Amino acid sequence: MSKTATTVDIDVHHVTRIEGHGNIRVRARDGAVLQAEWQVPEAPRFFEAMVRGRRWDEMQLITSRICGICSMSHSLASLKATEEALGIAISPQTDTLRQLAMYGEQIESHVLHVGYLVAPDLLGVKSVVPLVASHPDLVKVVIRLHKLGNDIMELLGGRRTHPVALRPGGFGKLPTEGELRQMGQWLEAEIPDLKTLASAVLSLAEKVPAFTRATEYIALVAPGEYPLIHGAIGSTDTADPVPVQQYQSVVNEYVTAQSTAKWTKWHRDAYAVGALARYNLNADYLLPIAKETAKAFGLTRGCANPYLNSVAQVVETAHCFEHSLQLLDALLTAGIKAETPRVKPKAGSGVGAVEAPRGILFHDYTFDENGLCTAANMVIPTNQNHANLQADIEALVPQVLDRPQEEIRLLLEMLVRSYDPCVSCSTHFLDVEFV
Amino acid sequence: MTVKPVVVIGLGNPLMGDEGIGIRLVAELAALAEHFPDTEFLDLGTSGMAVVHALAGRRKAILLDCAFMREAPGTLRRFAPEEVRSGKIERSFTMHEGDLLQFLELARVLGDAPDDIVLFGIEPEGVSPGEGLSATLAARVGEYAEAILAELIGPARD
Repeated sequence: MSKTATTVDIDVHHVTRIEGHGNIRVRARDGAVLQAEWQVPEAPRFFEAMVRGRRWDEMQLITSRICGICSMSHSLASLKATEEALGIAISPQTDTLRQLAMYGEQIESHVLHVGYLVAPDLLGVKSVVPLVASHPDLVKVVIRLHKLGNDIMELLGGRRTHPVALRPGGFGKLPTEGELRQMGQWLEAEIPDLKTLASAVLSLAEKVPAFTRATEYIALVAPGEYPLIHGAIGSTDTADPVPVQQYQSVVNEYVTAQSTAKWTKWHRDAYAVGALARYNLNADYLLPIAKETAKAFGLTRGCANPYLNSVAQVVETAHCFEHSLQLLDALLTAGIKAETPRVKPKAGSGVGAVEAPRGILFHDYTFDENGLCTAANMVIPTNQNHANLQADIEALVPQVLDRPQEEIRLLLEMLVRSYDPCVSCSTHFLDVEFV
Repeated sequence: MTVKPVVVIGLGNPLMGDEGIGIRLVAELAALAEHFPDTEFLDLGTSGMAVVHALAGRRKAILLDCAFMREAPGTLRRFAPEEVRSGKIERSFTMHEGDLLQFLELARVLGDAPDDIVLFGIEPEGVSPGEGLSATLAARVGEYAEAILAELIGPARD
């Protein structure tokens, strides 16, 4: 159907068998925006009901299934919540190994996002498949880097996805020093691919839409660190971080008419989490190659262009490489020491917060005296970004209303993709017709 | 690192009812792994992209997944990727919902996929939050496992 030049009607609608997908709905007439909405049904809240009544040592195994991409983040948030509730201390060695596992996931997830979702947009194609013909070397670089992330998680987590080697208090199976040396070799060997990816994205940087909107950014902060599994909740709107135990006073969940997912806000009507948020709060603590990468892109603290989240991901990927190599050196110098986590269940509550690739993630558990979960609350990064995405859409649409409808649609889709929302990530069924 | 020539991959989520059938089946089969020294059994959960890596360097891949095929619940069908087209309509908003068929296509165009890829799809009765299979599928797990074992043991039936 043809549209008149003054009418915009965009309805990017997901049609699937399972609820959990986001839709973009924009309508405008004669330069006036009638509707500009990000509509998203509920995200995986049902896991909260599912873990009630489960044992303390089952929580990570269950919650790691919430997501196929950030299963390590859910695992680590889960372990931290359980450990706080049960008063379990972990060794510096365990903490370091967990950081390495988290870096593996960030590498895997960031590379996937930049290589498979963002690069096709910047290169003007619909998916990664045509890039195999047009940019075969780039696709192979992305595949190798993604595999590196997967391999690191498998080595430390004991399984390719949904880790099984991590336990409250430590590791069920520790990696050997030989395996950690091998991990270091993998990382060293992939540095050229990392540089190739960064150069490729840099060469396309001019195609990243120029759009900014003053935004509150929220991420974990810790003294002297670019933290992923430590720290308190920081905001670009305040100099006073809030302890993770008080996360409810940060997320302030609320319900909107256009979404069955709960939205969040703190100092403003919306806030953003994710790589750009972490960068804006913690860029001073990036390691040198990551800082140089940011400089090459012209990325500076205070950036408020949501499309540049993917550039922040490239910068973080460099940091993950550098810090992983440092941590491996330290671990191997000290030597891996056998540990046997011993846990005695008791009643208590605890909150675990980590920086998942898409942003800050909270798990909050309460256990009874037998170590059975009586209450659970999980606030995922994507839910925290919904209100911000809505605010971005509202700000962007009037600025681009004079452009062709298809261009507006693409800009909006790219905006959604820049957040890489975790919608309906808990299923993997096929849906096929026989031909 | 050498890879085993045959891989059996289970996909899905055991916390989503019948969506977990692929995971249940690969666990059943992995218990027999000692009889299949040339075969690796992998639970890849809901991580579709991991499939691309898991296919590299193999002679044969067998994928087990819950599949909406417009059949009666519990129906098992064996098919090759080229025998079907995807009914998923994707906007590529996110990497969280990848279509397995697209990942297989990516592996193929990369030249990393084995020529012999067999999918076993099981029509679900229900895909919704909750642990455990429906009674319909649970009653037939043994039958499904036998069909997959026949694929592993016997010559290709194409």
